[in-house]
Amino acid sequence: MRSLARATYLSLAASLLPSAACAQSVDYQALQDTMGEPVTTSVTGKPQRASETPASIEIITRDRIAASPAHDVPGLLKSYAGVDVNRWTAGQTDVAVRGGVQTYNPRLLVLVDGRQVYLDHYGMTDWNLLGVQLEEIQQIELVRGPATALFGFNAASAVINIITIRPGQGPSLAASAEVGTHGYGRLSAVATLPLGHDVDLRLSGGHQREDERSFPANQPAPPSLISVKRDEIDGTFEAAPGARTRVTVNGGYSVNSQLELLPTQVATRQRYEAMTAGLRADRDTDWGSVTGRIYANWLDAHFGAGASGTTGFTPTQLKNRIISAQGSTLVRLGLDNVLRLGVEYRNNRLDGVALYSPQIDYGVWSGSGILDLHPTDILALTFAGRFDRVRLASDGPIRLPAANEQSDFDRQFIRSSFNAAALLNLGAGGQLRVNGGVGYQIPSLIEYGLRMQLELGLGPDAPPILLAGSPALNPVTVWSGEVGYSRQLSDSTKFDVTLFYTRTQHAIASPGESLALVPTFIGGFAMVTSFQADGPFRSAGAEFSLSGTIGKHLDWRANYTFTDTGQKIVPIDILSLSPRDTTARHKANAEIGYKQDRWFATSVLRYTSATRQFADNALGQIALLDVKSALAWDQKIGIKFGRVTLSATGENITGADGATGSPIPADRRFLFGVKLGL
Amino acid sequence: MGAADLNIPVATRVISFLQPPLSGAIPAAIIYEPGNAASEAEAASIERAGPLIAGKGTLRLKRVAANALGQLAGVRVAFVTSGLRDMEAQIAAATARQSILTITSDLGCVQAGHCAVAISITPRVQITVSRAAAKAANIQFGSAFLMLVKEI
Repeated sequence: MRSLARATYLSLAASLLPSAACAQSVDYQALQDTMGEPVTTSVTGKPQRASETPASIEIITRDRIAASPAHDVPGLLKSYAGVDVNRWTAGQTDVAVRGGVQTYNPRLLVLVDGRQVYLDHYGMTDWNLLGVQLEEIQQIELVRGPATALFGFNAASAVINIITIRPGQGPSLAASAEVGTHGYGRLSAVATLPLGHDVDLRLSGGHQREDERSFPANQPAPPSLISVKRDEIDGTFEAAPGARTRVTVNGGYSVNSQLELLPTQVATRQRYEAMTAGLRADRDTDWGSVTGRIYANWLDAHFGAGASGTTGFTPTQLKNRIISAQGSTLVRLGLDNVLRLGVEYRNNRLDGVALYSPQIDYGVWSGSGILDLHPTDILALTFAGRFDRVRLASDGPIRLPAANEQSDFDRQFIRSSFNAAALLNLGAGGQLRVNGGVGYQIPSLIEYGLRMQLELGLGPDAPPILLAGSPALNPVTVWSGEVGYSRQLSDSTKFDVTLFYTRTQHAIASPGESLALVPTFIGGFAMVTSFQADGPFRSAGAEFSLSGTIGKHLDWRANYTFTDTGQKIVPIDILSLSPRDTTARHKANAEIGYKQDRWFATSVLRYTSATRQFADNALGQIALLDVKSALAWDQKIGIKFGRVTLSATGENITGADGATGSPIPADRRFLFGVKLGL
Repeated sequence: MGAADLNIPVATRVISFLQPPLSGAIPAAIIYEPGNAASEAEAASIERAGPLIAGKGTLRLKRVAANALGQLAGVRVAFVTSGLRDMEAQIAAATARQSILTITSDLGCVQAGHCAVAISITPRVQITVSRAAAKAANIQFGSAFLMLVKEI
């Protein structure tokens, strides 16, 4: 009890630091080299070996990234169990874990070094706006299942934490250039520079472009197909003012333009411009560690240029600003147990003309605790809980006619999330893992406050038609449970099976083809169609994974995922959501890598069963279109000449139309690259 | 390298987690028992490990016989060869007095509180830290490292 009292006191002290906290500073590469396997903090907040986490986790290491045929983060994720990667267009990608595939998937929280890159304005991730070069990624961590108790809202179905290399690795330079078919080109450079004793800088930048895919005849194409473009620059400064203190300052700027299918399935050009700035301080102590962090993200989003069809979509600009201040402490309780306590305040603001009022915002106060216990050598127990208190508000004069009263936006609510897990070592390399929890997806600021007048060409006497958000929307609730068993079959072969069940309640969907108009008389007469909570859906299934090595030069892995999705939702002409149709029932992947002397090669085979995905049909109506089952083959082969590496990559060499999971057929692409490492 | 020999790459990485971190030239000793073939073989194996980089420092190795512990003066790290059971208590006393980090492949030395760190690598890396031995030598590690090892 004294330890707990001390931990509570220390956490309160940590929360009073000028900048608040997240997880302690960890040298992932050094710890991986020491322990012989990757290390993560993304499950319980404390450093853990990948093989000892009480959750279903994948860690894609730096070596695997370098050898992979993938040229971006979703490409790296797509061959892992339980992961659906849908490339709707050449630039727009969504990643879903354990079902619930949809455009602008809002239930996967994506972070870079613990800083959110998930975009709150629409509740989605633009994977071309991460501001990170592949060459600066230390590892990509995928934790399946709700992780809201550790990370907060939107880690509802899974969390992906992209960890970058630390600046303090000595002077280095990694520069890459790639060209390919379909107008593909990528340049990137990452440099680390020691500036003095324990003062280091990392700079990175990149440029990428590629042509848009061709629309099939059964889908209305936008008036012009723009190419995908992304540019980014990022800087991280790290200093150790004391032997046990580390301070990190980070800033970045990214811009991306691409064609996207909005949740309403309108294909439009989007241009995103993002900036981030942050300060983090970590202090190691005799009893654990304290971390303080504050960061801000700014997004300038230009939506809806060059829309497809006759949907009346009006181009608009939205500006989103997030400020997050976090504080956390890890306290060692005795020899084996750890308590993590955290506090966070987040303010999230959206400005734009297509909103209910000039500004919609919410503030969230949060407190969390994770207790990691090891009562015996063979048993580990984890309990995590978090509460979030949300206050929603609007600011400025209401735009009339409106769908809501101003008082509707004066709203507060609290959500409590939890995770509980047990990890039992069964001997002979066997492990049993049981965990469950509940997480939440907060409605996006657009889903709360959009007010867009649609131009449907109904004539001058027709009432205005509004596409509106709703401040009455509740967070989407995701319950999840899983049982996993892993076993080291031999020195070189590991097997893992996980049975999972996920239930998603009140998933928010955009209006379907019928628009389902209702009248409003607030400040005038208008007809309103709005974002609404749909019925529940559940996904249940099994993930099987095998991995191993053959001799000194070959490594391999294979996995199969079965996902059964059930739903009780309203008809799709009212709300465009149907996870049962959009989530593949069968997925299988196999990868084999070869490395000897100067040569390396990696082959990836991916099978995805047929799905149906939302898109506008030939008549411009929202419909579910067939996406064929696909067997895709990706291949990379490379050779090293000293510090220079040459590579050739083929993506979807089999030319399978459904390889991207999009109604727009996939291309066969070839890339050629050169990399310089100093 | 014999099955019970100390894994030097892991051992040098363990040194990099010391708080405060060591840098520059780090005087290091291999404590062995003259005439004990296994001990001498392990000492030779450690010497053959090549340049030993530990974080921002480089180890400067010398052999120190277990019956000549006075030669430990100035040493910051000591690799204790296995099989020195009868001399462990003296080694512990000498290294604790001079705040020397002791690393061994002999788990028994750590379990007895005579060595600070034991390393085994089969079937996988397992690092054991004796809190008592570390405290006696006034040795501190970073908390991230301690959360990954077994502390006894």
